[in-house]
Amino acid sequence: MLYTQTAAKLFGVAVRIVGQREEAEEVLQESFVAVWQRAGDYDAARGSATGWLTTIVRHCAIDHLRRRAGRPESRSAPEDLLLKFAAGESTDRGAELSVLQRCLGELDEQPRRAVLLAYVYGFTREEIATGCAVPVGTIKSWIRRSIERLKRCLDG
Amino acid sequence: MRYDDPELRELLAAEYVLGTMPSRSRRRFERLIASNPVSARAVGAWADRLAPIDTGTPAEEPPGRVWCAVEARIAPGSAPPAPAHGWFGSLAFWRGLAVAACAAAAGLIIYVAAFPGRIGPPTPEVVAVLADQSGDPSWIAIVGPQRGEVSVSAVRAQAEDTRHSFELWGITGGAPRPLGLLRPQSGSAAIIRAAQLPPGDLLAVSLEPPEGSPTGLPTGPVLSRGKVLLTPP
Repeated sequence: MLYTQTAAKLFGVAVRIVGQREEAEEVLQESFVAVWQRAGDYDAARGSATGWLTTIVRHCAIDHLRRRAGRPESRSAPEDLLLKFAAGESTDRGAELSVLQRCLGELDEQPRRAVLLAYVYGFTREEIATGCAVPVGTIKSWIRRSIERLKRCLDG
Repeated sequence: MRYDDPELRELLAAEYVLGTMPSRSRRRFERLIASNPVSARAVGAWADRLAPIDTGTPAEEPPGRVWCAVEARIAPGSAPPAPAHGWFGSLAFWRGLAVAACAAAAGLIIYVAAFPGRIGPPTPEVVAVLADQSGDPSWIAIVGPQRGEVSVSAVRAQAEDTRHSFELWGITGGAPRPLGLLRPQSGSAAIIRAAQLPPGDLLAVSLEPPEGSPTGLPTGPVLSRGKVLLTPP
């Protein structure tokens, strides 16, 4: 049931970011209305449909958090998600993940955490700065450097 | 801002995907990618580079009421905006459709386009999408309405005349067998027995005389085709 898998994967991502199912339902709803409105923007030459759909869902979830101006309390460390998968089977997806994990592993610990907190939980630069007790400008440069290093590592 | 600087473009695309852009900058950047294919490709590439992180997140079944709510927010009878860059028109997309896990999500969108008033639990399961030669979907096969049945209907009304009919064929190993005549009006479905549609089979629609092909094989041009994506219950 391909359809079910896609919807469930996207819902899982929404739950992960907003932290609870009821709000994730709203996010998924927003997302599919956005998909409806923006179907004309999608082009397979610009990346996978799954990537496109996931980006829409993640942005809707992030907007939801920003409107709420607060986030769920309990969060597992974002690294746990990577480790949990790495322990699993070696699918094609697993190979891609292990490359990404190796490249993330080449980053310094704090910048890596900043990147993962942003991607996995939708943290803003300000929230990461508060958590790390550093200025927002530091987070910006961590993320900028991490992006450059990740790109070199992943494409190299 | 100088969006033509490749380094800046990469940085903005990655920050867009990471989600660290302030809301207003993100909206501005979204307007840019709508008109700038190079930036749009950079965004797609970053989404795919980081996507493996999501494989560590458990999937969760969304409740059917989500789709009811989506339905309620899409104006009844409306059609999605005409694709500028070929979501529907892209051949590469349709080639990928038969194998990629995104098939059914696309199917949902096509389903929404074809039946704006009929979304709701149980969620529609897309059996096949038949595209014409330019890659535009013309027919969609979904599960139901009864168990063991598949419903095939036109995504948009097909040009109709009294001298022709549209006949559906199932093709296994290159050998076509007739599955019945389709209804060219949008929203009107033909019912096919699910057992006649093994997954991986090719479905095709040909133009035939009003009563269907007299020979048991297609006699007119093949107008659209698509693969059976899942086994209907």
